[in-house]
Amino acid sequence: MTENINIDIHHITRVEGHGNIVVDVVNGELKKCNLEVTETPRFFEQMLLGRPYGDASHITSRICGICAVGHATTSLRATEAALGVEPSEQTKLLRRLNFLGEILDSHILHVYMLVAPDFLNVGSVIPLASTAPDVVFRALRMKQLAGDLCKTICGRHTHPIAMTVGGFTHFPTTAELYELRDRFYDSWVDVDATVDLFKTLPIPTFDRETEYIALRNEAYYGFIDGNITSTDGGQWPLQDYQSVTNETVLPHSSAKHCSNQRDSYMVGALARYKINHDLLHPKAVEAADVLGLEPTSVNPYMNSVAQVMEIVHCIAEGEGLIDQLLQREVVWEDPVEPITLTGEGVGSCEVPRGVLFHHYKIEDGRISGANCIIPTNQNVANVEADMRALVPTLMEMPQENIAHRLEMLVRAYDPCISCSTHLLEVKFE
Amino acid sequence: MASTLVLGLGNSLRGDDGAGPAVVAALLLLDLPSHVDVVDGGVPGLETVLLLQGYERVIIVDAADMGLEPGEWRRFTPDTVELKSSENKLRGTLHAASLAEALVLAGALDVLPETLIIFGIQPQKIDWSPDISDALQGVLTDLTNAIVEELRT
Repeated sequence: MTENINIDIHHITRVEGHGNIVVDVVNGELKKCNLEVTETPRFFEQMLLGRPYGDASHITSRICGICAVGHATTSLRATEAALGVEPSEQTKLLRRLNFLGEILDSHILHVYMLVAPDFLNVGSVIPLASTAPDVVFRALRMKQLAGDLCKTICGRHTHPIAMTVGGFTHFPTTAELYELRDRFYDSWVDVDATVDLFKTLPIPTFDRETEYIALRNEAYYGFIDGNITSTDGGQWPLQDYQSVTNETVLPHSSAKHCSNQRDSYMVGALARYKINHDLLHPKAVEAADVLGLEPTSVNPYMNSVAQVMEIVHCIAEGEGLIDQLLQREVVWEDPVEPITLTGEGVGSCEVPRGVLFHHYKIEDGRISGANCIIPTNQNVANVEADMRALVPTLMEMPQENIAHRLEMLVRAYDPCISCSTHLLEVKFE
Repeated sequence: MASTLVLGLGNSLRGDDGAGPAVVAALLLLDLPSHVDVVDGGVPGLETVLLLQGYERVIIVDAADMGLEPGEWRRFTPDTVELKSSENKLRGTLHAASLAEALVLAGALDVLPETLIIFGIQPQKIDWSPDISDALQGVLTDLTNAIVEELRT
């Protein structure tokens, strides 16, 4: 039994952004167990102030290169809520399809390149390329499809330049949609292989009850709009998001901590699945079964497994949405104009890592206030709570094994740390 | 399928990081042999690996910090230099994999072309602007001509 443990991992590898894990155990007693987010604040909310409302989605899409579509879509929904814009049916379908591209791109990168190496006993994707090149090629191919989907619908592989308040400034051709449809159909070989690979990986067993939060709209599984919903019961309209997030500042972390009905909550693929599994595409239900994923799961390591299941869902859902668009025939539509240039609104989407909020105040067409709460930010407290519960169960192991398990735990959340830090405004009175 | 690829890499919104795309734009105005593809690859990260696939010869054009004067350019092959990135094991973030990491991955996957040549140009400034600096603009023609010569061999 290890009496004294001192783990100080500076800059966890295979996560996006910078964070440290610090664990101190003295004489068998856990003294300290922190996820220190050392990323500097990004100041995006400050950058928006004074800008015309049309700039917001383009600026905030630069918060992240992987979740650019997520930020942009959420931003647009916030502006549209503030200025009374109701997007057309075609716009909604295009946005839903585009969003699937981002979920796919992010999940594929995460499960193949950040998580899989842990289970395949390699340090990163480079050695994996030597031992299992077909796996790496598959991941690159799938990522490329996701990126090309985004490029077709929103104009660019990264940063959705064709999305604007009220609609789009560019539309896919019928030929492009047919090509996408064919590529989606052909990708099932890769998707099935992904499920086959991940069902064999030995996911660590670690159960801890916590609150799970995700958006729920009654029409379909994810990802745009909905009501904030909790596994502890309760549902809140988006305008009330702050009564759910309850951010507090902590000294050891530049990301704030969030809590709702318990000391922490979890967002992300596992939360989405627990709250919305009845709305999944049948192929995703089947995949969940194969992967050993159940709605009652309270194992945070299963978040990555839920992401694999969502890859299946997104390909199936994507085929359906492309078919709908082909049947309707995509036509040129001018973006819907705002009915007012002064207002306040909250937009929310389920981005790959969980529920994202953008809250804007707009005066005479210019942003006068902005608040963005990112999913990773909301998970930090829950990660620490998991670590505090996990460490005592690992005390029999050598210190480096404990450290590795903790890193795997953090990776399971798929943290996007550099998105997660934002500034608290302090007024001196 | 063409046997030769000229691949310009870089972000054309970041000043001289747009050197690659600028050279590609200049090449596309010329009459090049039919066996040559010219592509503005932008910043593809690891997906560079997929772009390289299938070509016998690849010429990459990219801004590179070689410790030279701004606007100076060099032609080299990867085996004769040390391409530095955070480290070759891709320890760092995959959200910012550069050419160095991509070439290591391509090597591991055994998809490197028979002939890989890199034209690196020393940037003056990598800032937030849509134009390349005067120092680089001034040598664009020379560099483009050198690549056209390379394509003739």
